[in-house]
Amino acid sequence: MKKRIILLISLLCFLITGCNEEKEKLVLATEASFAPFEYYQENNIVGVDIDIAREIAKELGMELEIKDVYFDSIINEVKTGKSDIGAAGISYTEERSREVNFTINYMDAKQVLVIRKNSNIKKIDDLFKKKIAVQLGTVADDYLTSNYPNIEIIREKKFLAAIEDLIDYKVDGVLMDEIPAKELLNDNLMILDEPLVVDHYGMVISKNNQELLDVCNKVITRLKEEGKIDEMLLSHMGITTKKDNKSLYDKFYDSIIYDSRYIFILEGLRNTLIIAIGAVILGVIIGTTMAIIRNVHDTKGKFKILNYLARTYITVIRGTPSILQLMIIYYVIFKTSNVSIILVGILSFGINSGAYVAEIVRGGINSVSEGQKEAGFALGLSYLQVMKHIVIPNALRNILPALGNEFITLVKETSVGAYIGIVELTKASDIIASRTYDYFFPLMIIALIYLCITLVLTKIFAKIEKRLNHVRN
Amino acid sequence: MLEIKNLKKNFGKKKVLKGINLTIEKGELVGIIGPSGCGKSTFLRSINYLEKPSFGHILLDGIEIRDNDKLRLMRRRIGMVFQQFNLFSNMNVLDNIIFAPVTLNIMSKESAIKKAREMLKKINLLDKEKFYPNELSGGQKQRVAIIRTLLMEPEIILFDEPTSALDPEMIGEVTNLMREIAKTKMTMIIVSHEMHFIKNFCTRVLFMDDGKIIEDGSSKEIFNHPKDERLKTFLSKIKNI
Ligand SMILES: Nc1ncnc2c1ncn2[C@@H]1O[C@H](COP(=O)(O)OP(=O)(O)OP(=O)(O)O)[C@@H](O)[C@H]1O
Ligand SMILES: [Mg+2]
Repeated sequence: MKKRIILLISLLCFLITGCNEEKEKLVLATEASFAPFEYYQENNIVGVDIDIAREIAKELGMELEIKDVYFDSIINEVKTGKSDIGAAGISYTEERSREVNFTINYMDAKQVLVIRKNSNIKKIDDLFKKKIAVQLGTVADDYLTSNYPNIEIIREKKFLAAIEDLIDYKVDGVLMDEIPAKELLNDNLMILDEPLVVDHYGMVISKNNQELLDVCNKVITRLKEEGKIDEMLLSHMGITTKKDNKSLYDKFYDSIIYDSRYIFILEGLRNTLIIAIGAVILGVIIGTTMAIIRNVHDTKGKFKILNYLARTYITVIRGTPSILQLMIIYYVIFKTSNVSIILVGILSFGINSGAYVAEIVRGGINSVSEGQKEAGFALGLSYLQVMKHIVIPNALRNILPALGNEFITLVKETSVGAYIGIVELTKASDIIASRTYDYFFPLMIIALIYLCITLVLTKIFAKIEKRLNHVRN
Repeated sequence: MLEIKNLKKNFGKKKVLKGINLTIEKGELVGIIGPSGCGKSTFLRSINYLEKPSFGHILLDGIEIRDNDKLRLMRRRIGMVFQQFNLFSNMNVLDNIIFAPVTLNIMSKESAIKKAREMLKKINLLDKEKFYPNELSGGQKQRVAIIRTLLMEPEIILFDEPTSALDPEMIGEVTNLMREIAKTKMTMIIVSHEMHFIKNFCTRVLFMDDGKIIEDGSSKEIFNHPKDERLKTFLSKIKNI
């Protein structure tokens, strides 16, 4: 027992601190689906922003670590000190500059309108009363919102989804940055000649880190003078695989095999499973403890304060979305500590699941007949003995179907882990789609994997249920 | 010797037991009869503190049974058999029987199994020792439940309508086992609506009504020469059925 505890603690320490570091790390937050600024190539994140960041890291004598998070999380990452630099083709805006410091601008980016070639939009004025898609929280979003009250704006989480909308005739145009827009043009899409607005990319750094800002500015100024940034841009242009008229097999090949993209799926699967299993174990431990506290309180009148805490916990957790809990745990509770995101995922989903398990177990305990408990007491057994050997095993059998459901829900719920940068299954499909500009295969494959996990879980639970019900063959 | 002194029990405002005084000597076979709802079960359950008395005292050999650290030791000395058998549904027959004595370190697992098997053999259920409760008939369940109680070697066994959940053809199995137990000079207190059984089996019968003991006498006195009007009415109703 002792050995196991020591093992567990050292495992936890390992997870929390990560591998022991040799060189100090410069952590860069980005969303790697914005070629040519940041994108995946053979499982590495590369791009113009990354090249610049490497120069900065070199200047500082540090090692660059890249974190792939959602675009709208980047400012938060930097503000909370989880990352040192944010770079994802982030345009300078007043609002953002109130939250974080911007480096000098390293690139001017035009916001252009991508339309279908057969579109009837020929000039900006035609936009009146049209539907335009943008990526949520981008400059394009701000610009349209404040300047074109008559346009219906569709805000997508990713600009690729906005492009999908355009291809599928769900919107009439997509407003986005010119350079990535050029990367995704194909036979059916074109860019409207007139740029709407020009903005300036800068990297973002915490307001508390003036030193880093100075170094970044120095490096960027040097790179600009040497013409290096244009070189970087050239080297990253035109290397994405384009959609056009590929055969089904080619699409499959591009999605899964080309560039070893299946590795994302395997990594996603691994992380999904680690988080789900960890969270299930944690959830069952928390849930059972809460349920017992509540039961002791209800039957014996003890544990008044603990019961109050347990009830509050259950109410709060069940009353708020799990994604909020995840973000709060990551960005508020673990704000300053350098804890592994996988561990944060396990903690967050485990705490979330615990509340549901608590209510399931409580129902299960109540479902065990009074008679069996009384028979136990009448034989001179203690409350704990009756609980442990009679009530809990019987309750477990009664709640197994509900518990199975909870586990299955949990596995699927882990997909929101992407919000704090966990590469789980859903994120893996996002990454692949960001390279192929085609969501179909990655999404189908991920859906199939979820389905398989669910089927296996269902099978396992049916087996256990049969066992516990003592069904003889 | 079991002494019950001025036992009262209220459920909220409802007075269910209204002052019961009684002494039961070792080896007595006491039957309790009375109309439904008069408090028979409540009385029986108060004896081993499954119901907490509102007032009064219960003493076994001079030691009071109440909610203190001795309660579990006292409960071991008083067995209880329930109408609904209440076998542990997550344990097979053998485990049901040996679980409490082994867990409470009253006997070793080996000797508990040995004893349990001897008893199962006597009631012809040895081949069912690995069966789970849901695989047994009512009569089989109740006999296993009785053996579970017996293995604790209690001084008194309380029976709350041990046969009323059984099909008629199974009642005999259970009452026969109770007769076997009576031969060991066990003190038994039985609540039952099986008047024939009570009449033939018990040495002493109590008639309860409205939370009180109305008549207390030998089986003959109660059934053949009832004094109280309520007892007479009660018995005549039963005969009419
Ligand atoms: N836990 C309880 N809470 C409230 N009232 C109760 C409770 N248990 C029993 N009673 C009431 O106490 C009275 C006596 O019940 P009890 O079960 O002791 O009757 P009984 O004589 O055993 O009846 P029966 O022959 O039908 O089993 C009944 O009116 C019943 O409704
Ligand atoms: Mg009763």
